[in-house]
Amino acid sequence: MKRREFVKGLAVASAAAGTALGQQKAPQPKSPADTPVVDQGAQATAPNTASAPAANERLQRVAQFHTPNIPVTQPDVVATTETRYFTPARYATLVAFSKAVMPGSQGYPGAIDAGVPEFLDFLIGSSPSERQAMYNTGLDRLQADSMKACKVPFAQADAKQMDMVIRPNLRAWINDHPPTEPYLLFVNQVHRDVREATLNSPAYAKAAESAGARTPRLGRVVWPLDPGIETWVANGAPKGSAPLSKHAHA
Amino acid sequence: MALKKVDVLIIGSGHTGGMAAKILTEKGIACTMLDAGPMINWERDRTLKPVSTLPYRGFDAPGRLPHVFQSSEFSANQWIDEKVIPYNYPAGQQYNWVRVRSVGGRSPYWGRQSFRLSDYEFKCKDHDGFGENWPIDLKTLAPYYSRVEAIFRVEGAYDKLPQYPDGNFVEDKSPWSQAMQRFIAAGTKMGVPVTKPRSSLGTGGMAASINLLIPDAVATGKLTTIPNSIVRQITVDKSTGKADGAIFIDRHSHREMTIKARVVIVAAGTLETTRLLMISDICNGSGVLGHHLTDQIYGAGIAASVPEARNGKATRTITGGGALIPRFRNLDTKTPGFLRGYAVNVSASNGPVDARWFAEYGPALDKKMDEYSGSGFTTNIMGETLGHYENHVELNKQVVDAWGMPTLTIKTKYTDNEVNMAKDMVDTTAAMAEAAGFEVLAKNYQFNPPGYSIHEQGTARMNDDPKKGVVNQWNQSHDVKNLFVTDASVFPCAGWQNPTMTMCALAMRASEYLADQMKKGVV
Repeated sequence: MKRREFVKGLAVASAAAGTALGQQKAPQPKSPADTPVVDQGAQATAPNTASAPAANERLQRVAQFHTPNIPVTQPDVVATTETRYFTPARYATLVAFSKAVMPGSQGYPGAIDAGVPEFLDFLIGSSPSERQAMYNTGLDRLQADSMKACKVPFAQADAKQMDMVIRPNLRAWINDHPPTEPYLLFVNQVHRDVREATLNSPAYAKAAESAGARTPRLGRVVWPLDPGIETWVANGAPKGSAPLSKHAHA
Repeated sequence: MALKKVDVLIIGSGHTGGMAAKILTEKGIACTMLDAGPMINWERDRTLKPVSTLPYRGFDAPGRLPHVFQSSEFSANQWIDEKVIPYNYPAGQQYNWVRVRSVGGRSPYWGRQSFRLSDYEFKCKDHDGFGENWPIDLKTLAPYYSRVEAIFRVEGAYDKLPQYPDGNFVEDKSPWSQAMQRFIAAGTKMGVPVTKPRSSLGTGGMAASINLLIPDAVATGKLTTIPNSIVRQITVDKSTGKADGAIFIDRHSHREMTIKARVVIVAAGTLETTRLLMISDICNGSGVLGHHLTDQIYGAGIAASVPEARNGKATRTITGGGALIPRFRNLDTKTPGFLRGYAVNVSASNGPVDARWFAEYGPALDKKMDEYSGSGFTTNIMGETLGHYENHVELNKQVVDAWGMPTLTIKTKYTDNEVNMAKDMVDTTAAMAEAAGFEVLAKNYQFNPPGYSIHEQGTARMNDDPKKGVVNQWNQSHDVKNLFVTDASVFPCAGWQNPTMTMCALAMRASEYLADQMKKGVV
């Protein structure tokens, strides 16, 4: 009831302001910048002053404001992600695997310097269960294979021992079709994930910039479109607003 | 405001909705075009950014678009989120429904490969006994193809192959690289033709309805375009049996609106068109609406390397360029194991090679990639799938979308026909590559799930017999005479070809027929 009265009052005030303006001789806009605009926020809270010339001038000035150039930085440059998804044993295996398959070279960071294990802990922690299972089962198998073949945990294996465990499971593959056998899928897909997370990292981009190389992997980002239907769904807009038959809400 | 009856209501603004708008308005007929999505502002909606600045380093939010393999973190917002407009399929029968909702539909994003169908497709049943013939042939559609090719500026070479009809081309006279010449020679020995690809040049790097078709309609002053309008029902006058308009919902506010029209054209894309006709409970006197869903298999192929181009020696003379192997199976002879045929996209690249092609890691992988850079060579299948009656869609009233509309259950699966076809393609192109002196690095016999090609077709097929088809040869509904369907749902068979040229040619032909019928007062 209170809200209805407020809205009603607002409508009356706006109409009154409009009428008063209508009795004056309407100035002809000289340019788009001179076109009267209305500050919706001010009109909602103080409708009488929102249409005043001073308010209009202020709004025109704000409308012509240009954003200053303030360089921004990726958080990875100054902060780290706390790992919380993988168990300590699995995380140690993931760190060792990442270091082995993407060690870094020629001034470019490897997976560890690019924060890949921490990033994957975050990514896999929020992934669908199938992907989580693929990682968890695979990391356990990697550990078991290392114990069986080398008598040491994978995280403590040397390069030669790691190679004994990794190499037999590598396959060449194309497009969206990694090997389908679960453990082969793990080795080859996670190799791919580690590699991509490294090449796409802020640390790698910074190294490229320092080396005077081209910015790695530029792409056209598509922004949510007008304004993005997800927003409306998330806000529950559809509920009850469009009954599909007459009196469906009754 | 008084309710105004529009002359022609067009539902959908992709390639065929755009073509209908262009043809009809140029003939003086006023059209109102509704699209379920927003108007795109190309400059505002897209920004160039490095992947390192994206929240998920290019991986995108986990689980966001599980059925859109084409999506990346860059493009994720352009595809429809299946949580907003859900669909489902039975366990073990994955279907990748790849959708866009914005003015222009999927037309800004297509691969631009531009082919005519041949009479091997138009008269497919006569050739091998499966399915139904089209009620038209190449000769009928050829004049329309020519006009469409001129609009899209299709680049191609003249090959004089009956299964790969020539068209009205911007002639491709580019020389073949040495690697491609060897691949062609290997094909010749095996009876496999290798031709230049055919592709729409368009204008400004785009060949979409929003730049090639709709602006012409706008220029006539007779087109009204309304974005964010989700048609939830086509309405029918019970006294005449004719469509008389539609009910649509504003995408943002969910306000329901009613529009009255003399003629309705449905151009929402195969499965959305089918869903709308099913929800409206019209156009299914034949009983085949929603059935015979078909498309093409993609994903199988090989990766290879041209040895002469390794170690920094790659030049455009040595390697590079694209090619196309048009269908060559089951033309004059019968190939065991599968009906119909496939085409192959062939590509030689002077750029970096894909790390996945090597069973290596660490510094050894880096070394391989340096060595092989510039020598990459790939083949990829485009294979016709069979539109069995059992491959169909059903309305699911238990699950509704964000606007309260029933969703689709898609029940389709591939068979041994597609499996055997993919195997034949991989083995044949691997043999050709080896005969050309290339090193085959990886073979993939697996193909992507149905729907992946974004070439879904067949669920409102055309046939002159009202018992066998939803529309007649003019894309006109047998049941509702003032309703036309212009998208690929009308295709009786898929062929191996990208369907866009055929969709546009059919939409052009149907629109001219409709204009004539309206002039005569018949429709």
